[in-house]
Formats: sequence, C-alpha cells, structure tokens
Amino acid sequence: MSAARASGAPVSGAPVSGAGKAGRWRLRAAQLRAFAARYAGRADGMLGLVVLVFFGILALAPELFVGPLETATRASAHAFDAPSAQHLLGADDLGRDILNRTVHGARISMTIGLMATVITLVFGVVLGLVAGYSGGLVDNLLMRIADFFLVLPTFVLALILAPVLIEVVGADAEVMGIRATLLVIIVVIGITSWAATARIIRSQTLSLKERMFVDRARVVGVGPGRIILRHILPNVMNLIVANAVLTFASAVLTETTLSFIGLGDPFQPSWGQILNGAQDSGAAGLGAWWVIAPPAVSVVLVILAFTLMGNALDDLLNPKSRVRR
Amino acid sequence: MSARYLGQRLLQAIVTIAAIVLLNFLLFRLMPGSPERILLRNPNLSQQVVEATRARWGLDKPLIPDQLVSYIGSTLEGDLGYSFKFRGQPVTSVIADRVGPTLLLVGLGELISVFVGIAIGAYAGWRRGGVVDRVGSGVSLVLYSMPYFVIGMPLIVIFAAGLGWFPTSGMTSVGGGDRPFPDNIIDLARHLALPLATVSLGLIGQYSILMRSAIIETRSEDYITTARAKGLRDGRVLRAHAFPNAMLPMVTLIAINLGYVIGGAITAEIVFSWPGLGTLTVTALQSRDYPVLQGIFLLVAVSVVLANLAADIIYGLLDPRVRR
Repeated sequence: MSAARASGAPVSGAPVSGAGKAGRWRLRAAQLRAFAARYAGRADGMLGLVVLVFFGILALAPELFVGPLETATRASAHAFDAPSAQHLLGADDLGRDILNRTVHGARISMTIGLMATVITLVFGVVLGLVAGYSGGLVDNLLMRIADFFLVLPTFVLALILAPVLIEVVGADAEVMGIRATLLVIIVVIGITSWAATARIIRSQTLSLKERMFVDRARVVGVGPGRIILRHILPNVMNLIVANAVLTFASAVLTETTLSFIGLGDPFQPSWGQILNGAQDSGAAGLGAWWVIAPPAVSVVLVILAFTLMGNALDDLLNPKSRVRR
Repeated sequence: MSARYLGQRLLQAIVTIAAIVLLNFLLFRLMPGSPERILLRNPNLSQQVVEATRARWGLDKPLIPDQLVSYIGSTLEGDLGYSFKFRGQPVTSVIADRVGPTLLLVGLGELISVFVGIAIGAYAGWRRGGVVDRVGSGVSLVLYSMPYFVIGMPLIVIFAAGLGWFPTSGMTSVGGGDRPFPDNIIDLARHLALPLATVSLGLIGQYSILMRSAIIETRSEDYITTARAKGLRDGRVLRAHAFPNAMLPMVTLIAINLGYVIGGAITAEIVFSWPGLGTLTVTALQSRDYPVLQGIFLLVAVSVVLANLAADIIYGLLDPRVRR
C-alpha cells in the first residue's frame, strides 16, 4: 500500500530539492521502472497485455499475414466453404476468406477504438479540468451537461445521431484514408461517452487544487492556464491512463454494436461489420459457425484484454480505488 | 424522505426530459435540405404551392420560438408525426405495436438476471477466493465483455441450427398464435427461449460483478464485525446485515442500467428477428425513417429518466441517511 501511495504523490510542483532537469528525468524513469515491476506482478494485467500485443501486431500489418483484403470481386473461395487446409477458417456467403477478413478487421476495429478513445479523453479531460478548477457557475453548468449525457441512453442516441451526421457530412467524404461513415462512428462515440471521464477528472482536480503546491504556485503569480497544465494535469495523468484503457474497451464494444446494426462501412469491414454480414446472410441459422466465431472471439478477447488491463491499472494507479476485485 | 429531496429529483427529471425534447427537435433540423424539399419532391410545383405548403406546415415561421413551441405542443399531445416507411401511419401507433414484445423480452430478462446475478455475486463476494468466486467471476467477466449479439449468434448455431430444439427467429410460428390456449403459449415460449437466454446471460455477468464488489465493500464495515462479534451465524450475517446494505447501490445501478439494457436488447432482437423496438429501429435506420427513430429515442430516453427517478425515490425510502 505504501508503494501505491508513493506513486499517487505529486509529480510536479513539489520539486526534488537540488535535482536539475536530468535528476527529474532519472526520478521519473525510476518511478516508471518501479511501476512496470508492480504491473508485471498482476497476472490479469499481463494476460491482457499479451492479447493486446497479439492483436496489435495483426493490426499493424494485416497484409503481411494474409495478403490484401478480400472483397466480393477478389474472393478466393466458394460461398460458405467450411474450414479446410486452404482456408483455415472457411469462407463467408460471398466466398471471402474469413481469416483474411478477421485479420484486416483487427486494424479497422482497433483504429476506430483508438481514435474514439482519443476524442473521448480530450473532451473529458479538458472539460473535467476546467470544471474542477474554475468551480462555481462554469462547474455547475458543465456537470449538469455531463449528468444529462450520463443519464441518457447514449447507445440509442448514437443510433439516431450517426445517420443524421452521415447525411450532413456525405457518405463519400474521406479524411486520412478513413471513410466518412467510420469517422461519424468515431465522433458519435466521443460525443456520447466523454461525461464519465469528465466526472472522474473533475473530482480529482477539486481535491488537487486545494493542495499546498497549487496554492504556492498561485501565490507566486502563476496563471490558471499554466497551473492546470503544469501542476494539475501531471497529477491526474495516472487516472487518465487507467481511464483510457477502460474507455477503449467500451469504444470497441460500441463500434462493434453500431457496425453490427448496419451503420458500419462495407468497404472497410470491422469485426462488427463482418458479423453484420454474417447476420444478413443468415449464417447462424445455416449452422455456418466459422463465419461467426473468428470475428466474435476476436471482439470478446480484445474487450476482455482491455478490461483486465484497465482494472489492473486502476488498482495500481488510482489512489481512490481500494482493492475491489 | 423529505419533500425537498423529492422535489429536487422531480425537478431534475423534468429538466432532463425537456432537454431531451429540445435535442430531438434540433437534431432533425440539423440535416441538410429543408423538409418541404424532401416531402414535395415534384420539381414542377409552382412557387405559390410551395409557399402555401410552407405556411400550412408553419415552416415560414422562425425556428425558435414558433416552430419549437408547436413541436413541444404536439409532442405533449402524443403526436410524433408520421412514419416515412410505413406510409400514413402515425409514429405513435407504429411504435406502440412493438412495445409489447420488447417489454416481454427485457422485463423477463431483467427479472431472471437480477435474481441469478445477485445470488451468484453475493455468494462469490462472501466466499471470496472460493470455487464459486473463481468460476463465477471468470465467467461473469467473459459474459460482460460480450455484446448481446455475440451471445445470441452461437446460441442459434448450437440450439436452433445444430440441435433443432428451438426455432431460429420470430415470435410465433405461422398460425401459431391462433391455436387453442395451451398451444399458443407453448409456441411463444419456444420462440422466446433463446432471445431470453441471450438477454439474461448478458445481464447476469454485469449484475454479479457489481453485486460481488458491493458485498466485498460491506464486508469490511464495522457493523459486520459487530454482528460477527455478537456470535451470529455466518449465513445470518450475510442475509440480515451484509446483503440489505449491498443492495442499496444495486437499486441505482439496475435503474441506470435500463438504457444499456434496451440498447443491448436491440441487437438481441435483430439476431432473433424478434418483432420489438430493436428490429423496428433497424428497419427505420435502413429506410432512414427519422420520425420513427426520433420517436424510439424519445420513448427510451424518457423511460430511462423515469426509471432513474424511481430509483432515487426507492433509494430515499430505503436509505435512512437520505430520508432527512
């Protein structure tokens, strides 16, 4: 427990006496090493990490493992071919190799999950810091809005928001090689899930701003923007990291569900989109389990891995969460 | 429970519902293309006709306040407009037809999973590290990571396509609903079995994880030590002291969860072609039937707000600290 306390102590603002810039970096490196050692002691966290690395490698270079993405015109098998030596995981209704599509799906699912997480965190952290630090009317207003989004069935909101936004942007627009449909999914997940992050960051900011080192900075004449950036943000970093991992899990879950319902992009198939194809072709009723199992198992493994890692990180980094699991 | 507490919660619920209605109003106007362009597709219409139609629909008036006021007025009257897809049918009647099946599925699913999930979670938390805890927590975490359709599709592969025990889709067989009394219920139950299993399994994981941590938290409270010190039996400490207190957070969680349950039920319904709000949502999505989509959102959002209000009131009645 004493080790956990040490990592919760202020990183900035409480300067290590006599240590220059190099000293501070050495201190941080040592802290990081100590943290890595404690993380390595968590079996569940390490299991999650292994799964993540596996899918991460697949996502980085899918072509390397299975060649280019198979489409309706580039299909290499026959409709609903069962698994064989040539097609290890069989083929779907259009004769597309399932292994090929599942590996490519890793890249798309995880990219969307990552980008949605970034948007969620940027919104949540900025609004949480501002609300917590400024207090008063701003805080009240922002938190009422956050409460509204927390109460709202965000998934159902995402369902009506996504098609409206696609209509506004136009389905053929493209940014950085990502098509509009997927961008909309990313933004919709961000809009509907920032509130929880904002609440967590705000409550931590509230207690941090009463601490001595923030008072000291204020007395010396440091402006609010700089205090937030240099003194408060580094101290909520722990929370942000733990929260990011859990947010990623729910972002992948939401993306999979939205794609499954038919809001995905058939030209950039995520795991949810592949399952949508399986549903539309009636694969389950035909007993073609091989069309369903690979993308489904992948989704569950990735969400499970991130949940395990997030819980481990939360226990190690969040001073408020006592041992719950 | 004080009148003040009740009043605060009521006000909060009313403000939230008002915000939902406002959001619903603005969202529809966000879309490109004015309504008259979509609804009056004939390019040969004279300017006069267009003007007249605009006036008749009130589109010549400013968005706020005139259009907003009339929107709120008709929403309060239960007039949600007309469906694009099901031509001529008002949105309220399109939705009303589908509420029953969803309520049946979600209601029964909640009931089963609340009982089973809480029982497993409470026992696992009480005997922490035991067999039930290890197996139960592992399975719960896996179930918790599964979207409903990922639970449902394998169930079809195994129990419908493979073993043939249950039908793959729908709510009744052809003519099944018209058979004499016991047969129509049996037919319904056979169709209900797999979707219900899907929803229940999805929820059991969640509830058992939550209940487990709630029990573990209460276990370290002083009153538990006191109860043990009095010499009460282990089972009685759990039932009379730990369990009721751990149930407090569960009441709120179950209510807050309702929105997610309905969201999840949508995908479960799709997998089994269950004729509820979920399949209606997908039909509406595919045909971009915005009035119906908005109606579903309004219905779900308002039910969630009301469920939250109910949870706050129940919580107020149960927890003496809030009663003041």
